[in-house]
Amino acid sequence: MNTTTKKLALRNGNQMTAEGAIKAGCKFFAGYPITPASGIYKGLIDLLPLNNGIAISSPDEISALAYCVGASMRGVKAMTATSGPGWALMIETVQYAMITETPVVICVVQRLGPCTGGATQGAQGDILITEFASSGGYTIPVLYPTNSKECYELTVEAFNWAEKYRTPVVLLSDKEVGMTTESLDYNKLNATPNANRHVITDHDADYANWKMYGFDSPDMITKFAPVGGKVKVTATGSAHNANGYLKKNDPETLATLKHLEDKIQAHRDEMVLVKEDHEEDADTLVISFGITARTMKDSVIKARTKGRKVSSLTIFSIFPIPEKAILKAAKGCKNIVIAEENINGQYRMLLEPLLKNFNVTGINKLGSMITPDEILERIVQL
Amino acid sequence: MNTPELCTYMTHGAVMPFCKGCGHSNILKKLNDALVKLNLNPHDVCLVTDIGCIGLADALFDKVHTVHTTHGRSTGFATGIAVADKVLASDKLKTIVLIGDGGSMIGLLHIVNAALMNVDVTVIVANNFLFGMTGGQTSSLTPEHFNTVTSPFGSMNPSLDICQIADASKAGFIARKTATDKDLTDVISEAIDFSGFSIVEVLELCTEHGTKRNDLKGNMLLKMAEEEGHKIGVIKNSPVRPEFSKKYETDVNSHKGEIKPLKYINPKFVHNLKKPNGIIISGSAGERVQSTAAMLAEAALMCGLEVTQKNDNPVTQGSGFSLSEVIISPGEINYTGVASADYVIVVSENGLREIKNQDIFNRINDKTIFIVDDSLTIEKKGLNVISLPLRKYCGGDKAAVGAVDYVIRKFEPFQHNAIKLLLEKRFGEYEKIFKEEYYKL
Repeated sequence: MNTTTKKLALRNGNQMTAEGAIKAGCKFFAGYPITPASGIYKGLIDLLPLNNGIAISSPDEISALAYCVGASMRGVKAMTATSGPGWALMIETVQYAMITETPVVICVVQRLGPCTGGATQGAQGDILITEFASSGGYTIPVLYPTNSKECYELTVEAFNWAEKYRTPVVLLSDKEVGMTTESLDYNKLNATPNANRHVITDHDADYANWKMYGFDSPDMITKFAPVGGKVKVTATGSAHNANGYLKKNDPETLATLKHLEDKIQAHRDEMVLVKEDHEEDADTLVISFGITARTMKDSVIKARTKGRKVSSLTIFSIFPIPEKAILKAAKGCKNIVIAEENINGQYRMLLEPLLKNFNVTGINKLGSMITPDEILERIVQL
Repeated sequence: MNTPELCTYMTHGAVMPFCKGCGHSNILKKLNDALVKLNLNPHDVCLVTDIGCIGLADALFDKVHTVHTTHGRSTGFATGIAVADKVLASDKLKTIVLIGDGGSMIGLLHIVNAALMNVDVTVIVANNFLFGMTGGQTSSLTPEHFNTVTSPFGSMNPSLDICQIADASKAGFIARKTATDKDLTDVISEAIDFSGFSIVEVLELCTEHGTKRNDLKGNMLLKMAEEEGHKIGVIKNSPVRPEFSKKYETDVNSHKGEIKPLKYINPKFVHNLKKPNGIIISGSAGERVQSTAAMLAEAALMCGLEVTQKNDNPVTQGSGFSLSEVIISPGEINYTGVASADYVIVVSENGLREIKNQDIFNRINDKTIFIVDDSLTIEKKGLNVISLPLRKYCGGDKAAVGAVDYVIRKFEPFQHNAIKLLLEKRFGEYEKIFKEEYYKL
């Protein structure tokens, strides 16, 4: 047995999200307890002081995210973690991060909804409420790991996107991904290098033309000014002009708002993370994410042993929707099966217009994980 | 030039956007004067403004950092800014919140928590007894009988004494002033200079809504507050509690060496598995079901196996059932549920009930082995049941431990020495963990 190249441990997704945050350079965490996300809170309470950071407890989820956004405005990488009920409370504040272009990462570990729902039951029912959380429908980038290793790697990616595009980013997971412990080889962790926001200083060549929310082109990400630095910050959650002042009926203000969406759209091709398991001449493509993507893998293995030609696509970057990658994986197939643990096929609803030339069906479930046989059965029926 | 003598933090010649006679103009001028008095570097000042007329202040202060936030949440954002500055950055920033009476109530917990934390934030509550910007509606700081557009016959409720709330939240500096007080500059500068949380409530007139509906003049504000039972002046100035970052240094940072680093597991044993094994352990909360499953998982990992452990329990953590599903496998594990169990361990009534609730009998095959405490009866026929006096020989708190140890001993999915090592680490000498009779099973 070759043991020299392994660094093994039993870790769950929440623990690895916390470790991923440390790797990403997170220095500030504020938490409010909620099952099944509390493991991230505990993880960072232990880890941040050891890594020159700070983790604090907050009196509610609104405070937790407001503390994080404030800390990020001061110039440090910040994160919080919650589940559906807490996310509901954070929705105003996440929009504040969006409109002020403040990088921040929010981990949403899904549980059974609606409302208080089932604290200790898994679900994938927050796909729509996570993405469509802003008045105006601006895109919130969302990453969704399937195991503890990916929790680490995608947390790093979430920070990198937040920093690069100056936006809130959601790391979506679920009770099963967050709380299931599994064997992990630390030597196999493969995170992308850390990205850091570009900070404006008063001796930069572009300082003379710099504006708080200025941009020359849709893809431009304005340089960040930290509160407390030498460049004056004028931040606001109100519709504002490029200088950060509240304005009404003003073309520059509308352009500044539109840029919030344009900058994400301009970079969406860089925000594609999927894993395709391609089968030559496949007639069926199964698409999934999170915990159900693991089920899907087993179903596809079984289907192939039964002689079925089937491909699969695991989507990690669920928003912005990786449309090109989905169409590429679907090419040549007749049937698309989208498996997700919610009652209404939330992601399927969004993909159907894109996949109108295919026979699209969903596998959906409430209250427990979709099993390999449930997906297999559909593949075999088609 | 911003020479200290001439330094003004407000825009030169700024035109106040407020109604004639509105107290906000005076409050902001006094705030400016307080900053001048303290001679702070403008880059070391952050004004965090709330929603409402007072929130228009950020456009008037062109030298200092301004952060205009969502309604009521200004103190929350300010707390994040202040903590990050003190603990992680320059430790120079003075963070000042400007909030109205309406915002101070919707964001009350942010104020309470900032005071409890004793973060270096100054909250100035501009209290004109109503929501002005939205048309003069009643707020929680509207005095009883005060007439507003939504209390046309007088407000029904007494007003909240936010200074008393701050006192109950252990704030060190608390003052209630009026917008025309001659010493307002001094009091605001004292509050900003205070190391830790400070709050200054400033009573003032809303000339658009307040004075038109009430017989009210500036010189009546003090009397009005007194009638509500609210104290006036500097109510508290006690720098006894250390500011948050100092407390953090002594209470948390100095202990960080006590946190044990993660130990990696060395796979020094071997296994006999050709295919994955699924093990379901069901029992009662507080009887080591999940920790035993964790031990099983660790032992399997020590034998070079891949492992997943999925736990389930009710929303309470120490009562009702506790159930773990462990998969040990020579190859990658995808689906983390046990679809077809190799072993089902049931050690208590709660556990048996949950096996039925979760329909585990539909997740077995004809080779599945049930290890069941002999106090329990499984009515279903045709199962491979091994009934053992686990609770009797191992105790209720270690029945699950005994059952898992039994499975490894008898069926050897992997080397028994692996679990034995972990058991000894946890409970001491292996031969003495359970009653003597157990080892003869």
